[in-house]
Amino acid sequence: MEAIEAVDREINKVLNKFENFKSQRTQTLQDLIQCLEKTRTELSDAPDEDELAPSHSLIMSQTCLNIKDTLNQIAFEHKELHGNVSKVGKAIDRNFVSDFGGIMQDMMSNDKNMDKINQVICEHFLRHGMLDIAEEMIQETGLQIDETIKEPFLELHRILEALKHKDLQPALIWANENRIRLQAKNSCLEFKLHRLKFIDLIKQGHSHQLMALIYARNFAQFAHTHCKEVQSLMGSLLFVHQGLENSPYSYLLDPYLWEDIADIFTRDACALLGLSVESPLSICVKAGCSALPPLLNIKQVMIKRQCSNVWSSKDELPVEIDLGPDLRYHSTFACPILRQQSTDTNPPMRLTCGHVISRDALNKLANGNKFKCPYCPVEQSVSDAKQIYF
Amino acid sequence: MADLKALEHPTLKVPYELLNKRFRAAQKTIDREVSKTQIAIDDLDRCLQSSTVTVGQMKTALDGVVEKLTFLKRKSEESIQEETDAAYVCKKRIEHLKEYEVSHPTQEAQWKKKRLDRMLVEYFLRCGYYRTSLQLAEHSEIQDLTNIDLFLMSKEIEESLERHETTACLQWCHDNKSKLRKMKSTLEYNLRQQEFIELVRQDQRLEAVGHARKYFTLTEESQLSVVQRVMGLLAFPKDTSLEPYKSLLDENRWHSLVEQFRYENFKLYQLSNTSVFGISLQAGLSALKTPHCYKSDGSGKNTDCPVCSKHLNELAKDLPYAHCAQSRLICNITGQPLNEYNPPMMLPNGHVYGANALVKQAENNEGVIVCPRTREIFKIDDAEKVFVM
Repeated sequence: MEAIEAVDREINKVLNKFENFKSQRTQTLQDLIQCLEKTRTELSDAPDEDELAPSHSLIMSQTCLNIKDTLNQIAFEHKELHGNVSKVGKAIDRNFVSDFGGIMQDMMSNDKNMDKINQVICEHFLRHGMLDIAEEMIQETGLQIDETIKEPFLELHRILEALKHKDLQPALIWANENRIRLQAKNSCLEFKLHRLKFIDLIKQGHSHQLMALIYARNFAQFAHTHCKEVQSLMGSLLFVHQGLENSPYSYLLDPYLWEDIADIFTRDACALLGLSVESPLSICVKAGCSALPPLLNIKQVMIKRQCSNVWSSKDELPVEIDLGPDLRYHSTFACPILRQQSTDTNPPMRLTCGHVISRDALNKLANGNKFKCPYCPVEQSVSDAKQIYF
Repeated sequence: MADLKALEHPTLKVPYELLNKRFRAAQKTIDREVSKTQIAIDDLDRCLQSSTVTVGQMKTALDGVVEKLTFLKRKSEESIQEETDAAYVCKKRIEHLKEYEVSHPTQEAQWKKKRLDRMLVEYFLRCGYYRTSLQLAEHSEIQDLTNIDLFLMSKEIEESLERHETTACLQWCHDNKSKLRKMKSTLEYNLRQQEFIELVRQDQRLEAVGHARKYFTLTEESQLSVVQRVMGLLAFPKDTSLEPYKSLLDENRWHSLVEQFRYENFKLYQLSNTSVFGISLQAGLSALKTPHCYKSDGSGKNTDCPVCSKHLNELAKDLPYAHCAQSRLICNITGQPLNEYNPPMMLPNGHVYGANALVKQAENNEGVIVCPRTREIFKIDDAEKVFVM
């Protein structure tokens, strides 16, 4: 990207010039020193009281002049380098935005808000298993974190670590304990855990096939829900001898299954605990990083057109920001007629023909109790419209 | 891409300012050593010009010049090394930023995680949580990409100010004299005032007067009234309850000195007052905020939505909503978007869900569906189509 390229160019120039200056000028100084030292050794033979030969004198004066000139040159060259150095700064200022003022009122100056922000950050650390950092933070900030909040994160992290090392035991215990709630959510976690264990046993070959068979008894409980899968797993027993890699069941050895299980476990555990899957802090900051460029752009436009007072309405952001389908957690309905977002006091209404407009629009367009849908000319009465909930 | 331009100015500007500072220091050193060497050469020259010159004199003069030259060489090497180091820090950060453009999705996620960690480290440093920021930087291996060294230095000065010591801060003012003067900084002046107040507090009024003679003579017009008030403190005992002298003796003045120092330190390195983390968080909260997150009966909450989570919900209360010019609907059951492939259907109670989710439920249940939000039971045939423009 050109912004980075521009700064990169300047910085490379600076580095080059410094390197050159250093190597050349150190050499120059070294030469000068050596030359003088040579003269010194020449003189050291003669006794101190002797007068200096005029030829020597002349050479010395010449050398002095030389040295003076060289030194001045060195100082001057170094000063010239400043031009390159300041170009770097200018490139940075030109290509990157330095001022965020005026976009949002500052939330951070409020102490109460700081406390809440610190809580969110601490939970973020707990969630990602950075437990010692979270501890340090709690100590340094004096946060009051409930032990009960920490517990589920610690357990989650412990089990995920074990899964990373292909140890299924903690996960199996957890799934067992929470079996009823998992089944209520239609989770296939426990089955997949057992399946992975079974495949592991089969992989170890002939010696373990009896153990594998005995383990397979665990699948009995999944007979209704995962019938077909249990059948194919049993079929894989046929290939214990020649190894699963060479059988139609090689897909069972796919390492993707391990990544998948960690993912499923995280999802189900979070659903059970009523937590979101990804840390809210990461999502928020990710959204913010996407949202800032359009906001900065519109601020520029507003300053140019001198209409910055339009932004004074603190109710809604001035521009629509599309965060992509991943970051859409709620339905947003904008009335096609009034182009306003629906709220508690202005909910969407479904007309008898099936079209949806906001209540305010409905009231505006209505003529007494009679009303004609703006999209299809179906006559209806206002009271027939039904409030809907997305 | 665009977010790099918006967010990474401090990342690059701070090492640049450091480079600039080192350059100026190097220039000063080189100039100083060059002039010293030239004095030695002038001595040598004078020796040569005098009518009689002995070998011995020659030898000493030569020694002097060689010594100065060697010193100059060493000093200039050191200075250039420091400058090059500072330039390399800049380069390293640019290389890191370049990685963002050329990454695959998984690498991009890693880079974004590092970015969040960088922002958090900066935020912690600004708040003064130095130990946490150090640990976090170590954990994510981002020490070179953050400005920890700069802030740790300022931490030492802040701590000394908290201990009511002014020496470290005065030293800092001296080191950055020219830039502070450009900024029209009053920090050094305020420090001297505070020293005066402390002398009065310890009843060393004569020393206080001497101190004032030394440092208050260069007062500007605007500051005159302030100085007069401070001088007036001489007349009152240290436990006076009369304003404004009582507030002059207040211990909290040290806190405002700490804050002033912090603010001016930021300005020196062209850092703005709000952290990048703060502004991103706010922008994100606003962009994600919908009326659903704040419905009075709490029915709209989605556990995955950050703004619906407890603390962020409170934080975002005063922020503007996301602007919505187009309807974007998702099914409450599956989270899938509602469009022509998954048309919205309304149940008799007014709740709307995606057709796919309702049909799937009906298949497993002999045509009967249960509204997840009200637990009412309906038949699939009762669901009516909804058309949203």
